[in-house]
Amino acid sequence: MFKLNLKIALRSLWKNKSYTFINVGGLAIGLASCMILLLYVAYEWSFDRQFKDAEKTYVIYNNTSVGGQTFSWAWTPGRMAAEIREKIPGIAHVSHSSYPQEKLLSNGQTRLKGHAVFADPDFLRILDYKFLKGNPEGVLKNVNAIVLTESAARSLFGNEEPIGKSLKMENDDLLQVAAIMEDIPKTSSIRFDYLMSWELYVKKNPWTKEAGWGSNFCLTMLQLQDHKRELAVRREIKGIYHRNQPGNTNFAEIHPLTKWHLYGNFENGKSVGGKIDQVRIFFILAFCILLIACVNFMNLSTARSEKRAKEVGVRKAIGSSRGALVSQFMLESILITTMGMMLGFTLMELSLPYFNRLLEIELIINYGDWRFWTALVVLTLLTGVLAGSYPAFYLSSFQPVKVLKGVATKGSSFVLVRKVLVIFQFSFAACLIICTAVIYDQLSFVRNKPIGYQNAGLVELPVQGNLRSMSELNLLKDQILKSGAAIDVSFFSDRLNEGGNNTFGVEWPGKGGKEDVLFNNRSAGDDFVKTIGGKMVAGREFTSDYQDSMKVIVNEAGIKAMGMKDPIGKMISWDEERYTIVGVMKDFVMESAYRNPSPMFIAYNEEAFQRVVLRLNPAMNLTEALGKIDKIVTALNPEFPVDRVFVDERFEEKFRDEKLLGTLSNWFGGFAIFISCLGLLGLALFVAEQRKKEISIRKVLGASTANILALLNADFIKLVLIANLVSFPIAYIIIQRWLSNYEFRVGLTALPFLAAIAMSVVVAVLTVSVQSVRVAKANPIDALKHE
Amino acid sequence: MIRLQNIEKYYANKGLKSYILRHVTTEIGQGEFVSIMGPSGAGKSTLLNILGMLEEPTYGAYEFMGTDVTSLNERKRIELYRNHIGFVFQAYHLIDEMTVAENIEAPLLYKKIGSAERKSRVADMLDRFNIVGKKDLFPNQLSGGQQQLVGIARAVAAQPTIILADEPTGNLQSAQALQIMELFKKLNEEDNITIVQVTHSEVNAGYGKRILHLLDGVIKEDVAPELQS
Repeated sequence: MFKLNLKIALRSLWKNKSYTFINVGGLAIGLASCMILLLYVAYEWSFDRQFKDAEKTYVIYNNTSVGGQTFSWAWTPGRMAAEIREKIPGIAHVSHSSYPQEKLLSNGQTRLKGHAVFADPDFLRILDYKFLKGNPEGVLKNVNAIVLTESAARSLFGNEEPIGKSLKMENDDLLQVAAIMEDIPKTSSIRFDYLMSWELYVKKNPWTKEAGWGSNFCLTMLQLQDHKRELAVRREIKGIYHRNQPGNTNFAEIHPLTKWHLYGNFENGKSVGGKIDQVRIFFILAFCILLIACVNFMNLSTARSEKRAKEVGVRKAIGSSRGALVSQFMLESILITTMGMMLGFTLMELSLPYFNRLLEIELIINYGDWRFWTALVVLTLLTGVLAGSYPAFYLSSFQPVKVLKGVATKGSSFVLVRKVLVIFQFSFAACLIICTAVIYDQLSFVRNKPIGYQNAGLVELPVQGNLRSMSELNLLKDQILKSGAAIDVSFFSDRLNEGGNNTFGVEWPGKGGKEDVLFNNRSAGDDFVKTIGGKMVAGREFTSDYQDSMKVIVNEAGIKAMGMKDPIGKMISWDEERYTIVGVMKDFVMESAYRNPSPMFIAYNEEAFQRVVLRLNPAMNLTEALGKIDKIVTALNPEFPVDRVFVDERFEEKFRDEKLLGTLSNWFGGFAIFISCLGLLGLALFVAEQRKKEISIRKVLGASTANILALLNADFIKLVLIANLVSFPIAYIIIQRWLSNYEFRVGLTALPFLAAIAMSVVVAVLTVSVQSVRVAKANPIDALKHE
Repeated sequence: MIRLQNIEKYYANKGLKSYILRHVTTEIGQGEFVSIMGPSGAGKSTLLNILGMLEEPTYGAYEFMGTDVTSLNERKRIELYRNHIGFVFQAYHLIDEMTVAENIEAPLLYKKIGSAERKSRVADMLDRFNIVGKKDLFPNQLSGGQQQLVGIARAVAAQPTIILADEPTGNLQSAQALQIMELFKKLNEEDNITIVQVTHSEVNAGYGKRILHLLDGVIKEDVAPELQS
């Protein structure tokens, strides 16, 4: 029975090639899209779950309340870990570690700049990384030991045996390789290339030894002995700041490690989601696209029901039960889905590298994993059953007497269902068109907004090695200027595109009881504003003509926040020092491009200079200029790489998430439209066939090709228009919610909505017309003769 | 083997009952060859469909081999139907996607007959109806008469006790029609299969042993063909 049904199913698929193609093609694209999105969701979900006891591990957050608002950071004092270990029961391990920081390692002339983490021995008990060589026990107790990841070891030592070899860190400390561990998987929040002891960190940063409860510079993690302790520990840990430092209003919160990546946003000390929102959108998108493909199948199957009706009647008349028919139709549906899956799988494998490059992640199909195969089979069956159930029950419900007599089987209710399904498909597609349009609109809006400085042609170099002395820095500046490679050179304390230190501790005249303001504090060298192409609103910037050590430049946002009039010459105090304001600088974008820049003051503190900023000479060829700069830097600082960075390239990274969202909704919106159109084409094919006779009669009566086209297309256009109307409010709500996350946002116009209508109607008309034209142009006699 | 008691069939349309069959009471015994005749709209096909359990009467009792059909649930009815009834249609109604051999095999599959037995029965049928050479062809490659032969072979393959034929020769030319009727006669006489056919043709009706004349849903006459004028 099964074999015969299979054979017949294959025959009927072969006989109706165009329908088969539409069904299999639609399902393949739907399944491929769904699988890629699911892979992405699984990838995001798997973050930090690779550790054995990840479920019992928590990261400690520090919540600071300022002016009624609570800010949460996973930065905690160095003393916290020891305090927890001593005072709170039920904790298996608690570790403190530094955040990953760039450190240069050298093995003779072979150098590697990677990220280093300094941690205490419990770090490795909480996170059970796989060690390839050496013993994890005790490596973090030894101040001179270093653990390398596999690829770090390979780039430093090649094929040599690394264990026991010596390395120099920052051209200074001599360390011995004690162990090699597996590379940190991409799905780990804590990423580093080498691991060193906490003692070394303290040795390099002696201030940390004395740092108290007000100094948050560590990542503290703890692992519970037992889940049940979570609530108690949460309660006990909350007041840890206050208990140890009366007057400290911060409070601590534990946050599960497994939620760190996806639930990273905090509002008033509570976790309020984060990346999970995006993951959820993609999860829903995955199934919606699959559903659209299933709808195609349902529509085409029921539309063709008249053809199948006779078969159903005959089968029933020769003794088939309804159940046997249902299973036969299900078999066909699963067969088509399986074919779709095979094609979809191929499509997915072909497009994965592209998506990986696009998303900058590593989605791979793990063929050895049973879970993958299970998911594949479940997805296929689910799709098959979902797509096949409605047609199966519908078709098998025919009464043999009626269909064999040739009584029309097109129940109006089923035509209605079909219409509703088409409307659903196109609503979804229109929604995606609108969202994509607005996302791109927003992106170009923010990108074209003036950022307050000229980031094109601006290059950043780190201050490291020999350059740490001011005299060398000045030498560098002179040499570069003299070479003509750059027209301006200055120094800055941080990267131009990143956040950095900030403080609530600024006092100004007339502050009184007013609220504290969070100021970014930076340091810059002479001619900084000129170099980056910024603007001074009042006063002057630091130049070599003045002695500026106790002077500051404040940005406009800072002046506004302080409510200062005539700021030049006024004094502000910070960290028990008083500074004179010598200039007011126009705001420029450092952190988020979607918000107004934060208040900032720039001091002239030579010790804080971490970056050299260069304005390339536009008159000089780029390669030549860069070559000259590299040569000068290497000559002054031979032990370190040059590490130059184009500021505008870094700036683009601020749009990464939005660009990604835009690209994905563009692609999958395109797929959704394509699949929907395939379905429409199938329906058009069917309607044209069904109305062949009617059309022929109309033609005989004198209708023109255009009349017929209008007649055939009108129904479909109506559906697409209704779909658009349905989608508008939904899209409006979704996109408003998305936009509300941004302080700078583009105004919502009618344009995206009009674009959606125009696009969907044009595409639908083109699709349907492919078929309609053929029918409209056919010789009417051919169809009529047949009767 | 078949006993109909006061069978009624009507459709209620806006409160008006339009009757198809009224007070039909008759019996058909094992081995009979009955023709149902009457003008269009007399209810011939409906009566046949009720006999074949494809339609349910609105009212009345139908006993098939001692079982009350109207009170059976769907599964039991299909069971009874599969084992005893074969249908032959005016429009042949072969499944287009199946070859001749597969069409004949199909009812056997639903009866859950073993593979070996199926093969031998199909071979037997092909042989008996002289269509061995056509076994791998599809219905649309056959003439009408050949298709009806396959249709009958399909009905006979399941070894039914009764064959119900709804104008089996209605679409055929007279020579082919004659052949088909001879075949029915042979099946009736040699295999002792009960045959009930609906027909317009006096000639065809002459092959049977008994004629039911239907007019406006009522049995007007129940006669043997010899007694007809």
